[in-house]
Amino acid sequence: MRILIVDDENSLLMTLVANLELEGFQVVGAANALCALELLRHEAFDLVLTDIRMPGMNGVELFRTIRSQHPDMPVILMTGFALESLIDEAILEGAFAVLPKPFDIEHAIAVLSRAVSRPVVLLVNRHYGVEPAAATLRAMGIACRECEGEGETLSAVRARTADVIVADLGILGDKTPELVRQVLSVDPSVAVITIAGHMVPDLFQKVAALGAAACLLQPLAPAELVRIIARARARPFTRSPSNRSGVEGEEA
Amino acid sequence: MNGLETSATSTSSRAEEVFQEHRQGVLARTDRLMAVLMVAQWLFGIVVALTLSPYGWEGRIKTPHVHVYAAVLLGGAISSLPVALALTRPGWLGTRLVVGVAQMLWSALLIHLTGGRIETHFHVFGSLAFLAFYRDWRVLLPATIVVAADHLVRQLFWPESVYGIANPEWWRFLEHAFWVVFEDTVLVIGCLEGVKEMRAISQRTAEVEALSNREKEKSAELDRALHKIQQSQEALVRAEKLAAVGQLAASVGHELRNPLAAVRNANTYITKKIAGQGVGANLTDPKIKQFLTVIDREVSVCTKIIADLLDFARERAPVIQPCPLRPLVDDAIAVLPESKTRIVNAVPEDLPVPSLDRDHFRQVLINLLQNAVEAIPTDRDGEVVIRAEASEGELWRIIISDNGSGIPEEIVGKIFEPLFTTKSKGTGLGLAIVAGMIKAHKGSIRVDTRAGEGTRFTIELPSQPVFNAA
Repeated sequence: MRILIVDDENSLLMTLVANLELEGFQVVGAANALCALELLRHEAFDLVLTDIRMPGMNGVELFRTIRSQHPDMPVILMTGFALESLIDEAILEGAFAVLPKPFDIEHAIAVLSRAVSRPVVLLVNRHYGVEPAAATLRAMGIACRECEGEGETLSAVRARTADVIVADLGILGDKTPELVRQVLSVDPSVAVITIAGHMVPDLFQKVAALGAAACLLQPLAPAELVRIIARARARPFTRSPSNRSGVEGEEA
Repeated sequence: MNGLETSATSTSSRAEEVFQEHRQGVLARTDRLMAVLMVAQWLFGIVVALTLSPYGWEGRIKTPHVHVYAAVLLGGAISSLPVALALTRPGWLGTRLVVGVAQMLWSALLIHLTGGRIETHFHVFGSLAFLAFYRDWRVLLPATIVVAADHLVRQLFWPESVYGIANPEWWRFLEHAFWVVFEDTVLVIGCLEGVKEMRAISQRTAEVEALSNREKEKSAELDRALHKIQQSQEALVRAEKLAAVGQLAASVGHELRNPLAAVRNANTYITKKIAGQGVGANLTDPKIKQFLTVIDREVSVCTKIIADLLDFARERAPVIQPCPLRPLVDDAIAVLPESKTRIVNAVPEDLPVPSLDRDHFRQVLINLLQNAVEAIPTDRDGEVVIRAEASEGELWRIIISDNGSGIPEEIVGKIFEPLFTTKSKGTGLGLAIVAGMIKAHKGSIRVDTRAGEGTRFTIELPSQPVFNAA
């Protein structure tokens, strides 16, 4: 697995590269965006991890350039700033996730591994409310797949093709908690996002207690869904209340 | 305009009040003076009677002359009523009229006792002058009538007692009356002038009073304005402090995040290398491992401080979505470091689902729980309880209580201020972040604390939050 890391801070770049190499990744460092683009022209990479604030071309511009040249290349951004309009722009254009600096190596590895597998967002249920969401995600360059029923969902999870599931509570109804439980028992790193047309307190309670990443209410702004997906993908591990170690390294 | 008129009216009514007070004072004082005079005249009359005609002789029998009886009894009769009135009804119009009449009767009696000596008539003029102390010309009227009547009557029936001779000219009383009227004229003018002067003084007093009242009001207004200015000054300082903290946080965060990340990465690498490969014999010193742990721990502390600063500096609007509270509380509890303190999630299972920004609110809970745990002295068993209540159309209420040492009264007003801290290690931003995030949820937080017994934070959130359209 080849990773390209771009950061103008040499000490950070050096140590990050060393750590990831120690974990078995093949890593190449670039000191700026132009170097990175040059490397991308000649070598194959599975993923790019780039800082946002850099002299010359910044990380988001680099992301846009990569997106135009290598549409399928996952790009993860990292930044010392908690809030920047640049970050939001990048997320809405389909950047995989944003890592807040400083992060644990384990955190980085979790997110990188997730991104490298090029997961899709699974939208359940195909025949009902999810088409607009799917169209939005595709327009933003986020890979997604619609599926139907618990069986299809679970097999997608088992096949490790999906890392985020957006489930319509209104359609699945009382079957939702069971689906959430099964999904998370197969793959605890999956982020389950449930959407409902109206407040259903008991179902929300149940799925949240089972470890769902978010419960959303319609009408949902498309940008909001994308932000929540990006945030879910930047999580270090699953966030399950029963799994205490799972929250270590979380953004404090 | 209206205000001026009102103040003019109030000034003149106050002037009238001052005048009446002053006049009443003069009248009462003069009443007392006249009472003393009445008694003195009585004694004087008796002395005169005793010295001039103490005894009459009827044959061999010596008896006190009738004049002595007249002085004692008649004088007593004349003096008693005005003295009584002066003592019981000072300042009353009747009192001074009676005093005026009595005074003139005393003149008559003294003239009689001295056998109509012309010099004793001066008593009449002196008395009128005394009566003028009242500064009320009305007193002179009955007094003058009494003098005139006395002279007329006695001239007719007993001329010796008033003129000292048996057959005065018929117009003698008129001559006396003329001089009395002459003095009266002067005294009436004096009385009227006196009253005029009193009125002028009252007017001035009232004006001075009004002026000083206005000054007092003005100074009170100035005090209030000053207080307001001080308050807004403090608010400004606070706001500036906040802004400064925000800027500081952003720049510190910017400057420190990269070096920290590098240190952390380097440390991770070295730690793994040593642990995994047991490099060389020269690394057997246990301190190396120990120090690597120290580096790791301290870097984490730095990271947390920076995260706090940036949490404070950032102003991301909350993304409000339904978020079940009980699992969120579990989530927050799980993040806290291990401690002896028992943390009880007493949020009801069937609590309705509030709408919140999940990440923000998780941070709120973590900060509050962390504080609660730290408030409990290490030598006792601590307990922190999180409760919540909600009912249709009411405020959401989330209560975090501990049985720690409480917050001292003198600092409880400051705990939500940025940079305020009582901990030896702490940025003083934890509760400021909490307050900011709750404010962004359009909610409120308050604290109840009792020294030695514990602290309770109560968060109230609107039941119908505004959903973001974004």
